[in-house]
Amino acid sequence: MIWDILVRAFVVGVLLSVLLSIMSYFVVIRKMTFAGVGIAHSAFGGIALNFLFGFMGYAFPLMFSILASLLIAFMYKKGKMSEDSAIDVIFVFSMAFGVFVLSISNGYSANMLGILFGNILSVTNTNMIISIIVFCFGFLFISYYFSHFQLMSYNEELAYISSIKVDFLYYLFWAVLSVVIVLSIKLIGIILVNAFLVLPTLVGSNLSKNYKTIVLYAVLSSIFSITTGIFAAYMLNTPAGPTIVLVFVVLWISSLIFKKITA
Amino acid sequence: MITIRNLTVKFNDKIILDNISMGIGKGEFVGILGPNGAGKTTLIKTILGLIKPSNGTITIDNKSISEYMNRKSNLIGYLPQHAIVNWNMPIRVIDAVMIENIKPFGLFRKYKKDEIESAKYWLELFGVGDRMYSYIKELSGGQQQRVSLARCMIHNPELLILDEPNTAIDAVYNTKLYEILKELSIKNRMTIIMVSHDIGAVTKYVDEVMCLNVKLHCHSKANKINFSTVLREVYGDDMEVVIHGDGCKNCALNRGNK
Repeated sequence: MIWDILVRAFVVGVLLSVLLSIMSYFVVIRKMTFAGVGIAHSAFGGIALNFLFGFMGYAFPLMFSILASLLIAFMYKKGKMSEDSAIDVIFVFSMAFGVFVLSISNGYSANMLGILFGNILSVTNTNMIISIIVFCFGFLFISYYFSHFQLMSYNEELAYISSIKVDFLYYLFWAVLSVVIVLSIKLIGIILVNAFLVLPTLVGSNLSKNYKTIVLYAVLSSIFSITTGIFAAYMLNTPAGPTIVLVFVVLWISSLIFKKITA
Repeated sequence: MITIRNLTVKFNDKIILDNISMGIGKGEFVGILGPNGAGKTTLIKTILGLIKPSNGTITIDNKSISEYMNRKSNLIGYLPQHAIVNWNMPIRVIDAVMIENIKPFGLFRKYKKDEIESAKYWLELFGVGDRMYSYIKELSGGQQQRVSLARCMIHNPELLILDEPNTAIDAVYNTKLYEILKELSIKNRMTIIMVSHDIGAVTKYVDEVMCLNVKLHCHSKANKINFSTVLREVYGDDMEVVIHGDGCKNCALNRGNK
């Protein structure tokens, strides 16, 4: 029984963290890490609606996150207001809306810690199957369009004149990212899922200067952190999210020391 | 090659370009001059299809810009302003030169031998051949600009559009750069449009000069322009233009040639 739970958590964790770590490369080089915070927290509003209506599925959280990600991406593109301000408005609205809805629904508090910080036990077979499907689609998407995103990150105007459908790919990137983030919430939690959009590439950048090996180290460090973190969370009976992130931060500090020594 | 008819561009009702009509022939080397805010960058971005005109039309080889670009990939080489390129990316010089060579599953690709040789040729021509495997963020601003120029050339484009190519490039190398561009326009019949603030050098090397300040004040052969009159009209102040010729032995441009 317990092995089933651990296997499910490992499969979901490894697959989603691989996707997040590859996508984190573009999030970090485009300096959009705060956008990840906004997307993750916006899912909270959707999760609160799940509690209110007694649903278990992903529909509401996904709806909230995808909408938030597209709104954030739109504001980045159009520059109508400062990006940080735009993300902050979406972030605080979703959190406020979530807490408000939860306060008028019943029996939410028991699951609150799991939503915020992740819970290995909450990962079901359905979650695992959905994660496998999303991984296959997401991995194919980001691998196929890697050069396109690389050029878009270098200079968007060059991407336009290279006949890349820049806007479409840009919004699709954020929509896929929000799906991966929502699926990761059960394991890592809303508060800390953003760590997987920053730390993998930071570790990779400390170990290498080249984008290919940065992405490789980002993936490997994510797999190491998530598997060690899940195992430690099970052994120590601690919430999964903080345990995984603590492992990741230790890894990042180690990579920083490695960089200083080898510089 | 390029025909612009009655082009007007407005941003929030502010007129940036006002009723511009002109033509640029194949193989012509055109310099665009004008003060800050004159609409020079807006004009080239409109030619590239990055900005939609409020009024008027632009055609390249009698085709709309999108039709022209869809005919074949990489027909246009474009050098954007240095400041809007992400120079902090963890890529090597060769990756930057090849960055417009879009391939599916690019993370796993390796460059072919002819691609590497072509990149090396252009990097050497622009004097940064020895930095091919350096990381772009480790280069100086001038070296980065030379890498961008090599990137523009790698696909041997029909049309080359350069927005202030001499940014961060020293005065001596500027001369070399203009000579390379001049040669490309003659030998390869490459059409070149260059925005620059280097009035003296532009007038020495380009075939045609466009003086722009919201309106097109002149579009003529460099040697037929009365600069003191036109530039006073365009820049708004009295200006003295020094044309660098063979007789100008002491200036930095000619010292660089020796």
